[in-house]
Amino acid sequence: MLELRDDAPDLINIHALSVRVRTTGRVLLQDVELNVPKHRITGIIGPSGAGKSTLLKAINRLTDLMPSLEVSGQVLLNGVDVRAREVDPDDLRRRIGIVFQQPVTFHGSIRRNVTFAAQRIGLVNRRNEQQVLEESLRAANLWDEVRDRLGHSAGTLSVGQQQRLAIARTLAGNPDVLLMDEPTSALDTASTAIVERTILGLRKSKTIVVVTHQLQQARRLADYIACLCATDRGGALVESGACETVLLAPRHAETRRLVGLAGGIT
Amino acid sequence: MRRSLIDAALTFVCAAATVAAIGLFLAILGVVTLRGASALSWRFLTEATRGAGEEGGIVYQIAGTAIIAATAAAAAIPLAAGVGIWLVMYAADAPRRAVEAVVHAINGIPSIVFGLIGFAFFFRFLDMKKSWLAGGLILALMILPTLVIAFVERLRAIPRDTVLAAFGLGLRRSDVVRTVLLPHGAPGLVTGTLLGIGRAAGETAPIMFTCAIFAGATLPHGIVDSPVLALPYHIFILAQDSFDPAMVVRMWGTAAVLVALEVTVSALAIPLRLTVAKEASRA
Repeated sequence: MLELRDDAPDLINIHALSVRVRTTGRVLLQDVELNVPKHRITGIIGPSGAGKSTLLKAINRLTDLMPSLEVSGQVLLNGVDVRAREVDPDDLRRRIGIVFQQPVTFHGSIRRNVTFAAQRIGLVNRRNEQQVLEESLRAANLWDEVRDRLGHSAGTLSVGQQQRLAIARTLAGNPDVLLMDEPTSALDTASTAIVERTILGLRKSKTIVVVTHQLQQARRLADYIACLCATDRGGALVESGACETVLLAPRHAETRRLVGLAGGIT
Repeated sequence: MRRSLIDAALTFVCAAATVAAIGLFLAILGVVTLRGASALSWRFLTEATRGAGEEGGIVYQIAGTAIIAATAAAAAIPLAAGVGIWLVMYAADAPRRAVEAVVHAINGIPSIVFGLIGFAFFFRFLDMKKSWLAGGLILALMILPTLVIAFVERLRAIPRDTVLAAFGLGLRRSDVVRTVLLPHGAPGLVTGTLLGIGRAAGETAPIMFTCAIFAGATLPHGIVDSPVLALPYHIFILAQDSFDPAMVVRMWGTAAVLVALEVTVSALAIPLRLTVAKEASRA
């Protein structure tokens, strides 16, 4: 089993996680074994089609919403199997928030975008709404840019701001874990830098798993790296460990190829 | 050279088809307006029919048509919203395909059959008499596919990540429906409703068995035995008197009013749809 180890305790333990398409039998993920330490940033790297996004969706059971997918194996959050009968998937998704590649904004104002979900699940009420709003937007490095136009439509924000709004909205639910699926791939350099600063700022209080195609970004952000590769049997985790070790001295041929294809890490 | 000729030919065919479609519409509009113009007056629009249709106006036919079309829309909208949400959000693959096939099949049923179904259900089974409610409900069933298809198309255009992002916040299905699907889908429902109202207002066969009479009714005074006058049925009856030139003019005048109503409803569809979409994004 490939493991990530330092003094931080594991928050998530993934055992023999496999995902396949029911109708075709195509395997998207095969026997993934991974431990995710608490309050650390774990980067998931790998080529397209290796199952990186599927892995994130299996962790917080968004795969439940895709009837064509069949998931087996275990994802333990604090030792509890997230797919156990007593686990409410909606509550699980609140505790394991996710931010997607393309910024998602909902109908309505910036204020409503941040607080509506937390209100629906009872975490925000009239008394603490302003506090949660400000804290979430500050944590996402967006407060100063929107504090005077909280009532404006979220659609008026730039793409980079919309992505930080999505982060703020997820933070308003006070998740333990933040899953980020290539959160900067749709952004320009300046916006990417701000989002990266945001992610690093959240490291103290959140356990973060970030999928990225950019090895330099993985190096800037991640404490640990897990490398997924597409194999004949489906996406497989071929190597994981401390960021510097995996990126600078990869042991597995697929990781070496991935790092080499990307022009190496300097 | 050959490719540019094919391009030019295709452009010509497409343009010709567009011109033919618009020309046909304008021709219908022109014929109806020209032949009915002499009947059109303020009194024609605001007075009740007198005699056997040879005098007075068509105000209660306009009101009756509006009432049954509005009833049809009021009944069809919640039904279409429910079916659409179920198809997109809850249905497993096999029942979804089955229901979609049924919805399309309903769309293919001839309108006269809807009239017969309405007659059998409301009069034979429920022992009702002609009523605006029976007419409105049978029209609701007839226009349901139009609303469902427009709504579902709009729902399916919502990016998958938008729905997953909502679930990713810990929202329950009902919350996702309320906060994501309905606001995004509303413009589709509006479009479908206006197209459906346009169709409902112009149908004769379903209402002749269920709610419409030619004379003797004003505004509805109840539910079970409360027939209405309606523009298409009025045209149908006047057409049977087409040997009388005065009746023919009044028939074309009624047809012009019906076409004007249809065009107005259709013209409303585009700006109203845009307004709903804009307001939904501001809400």
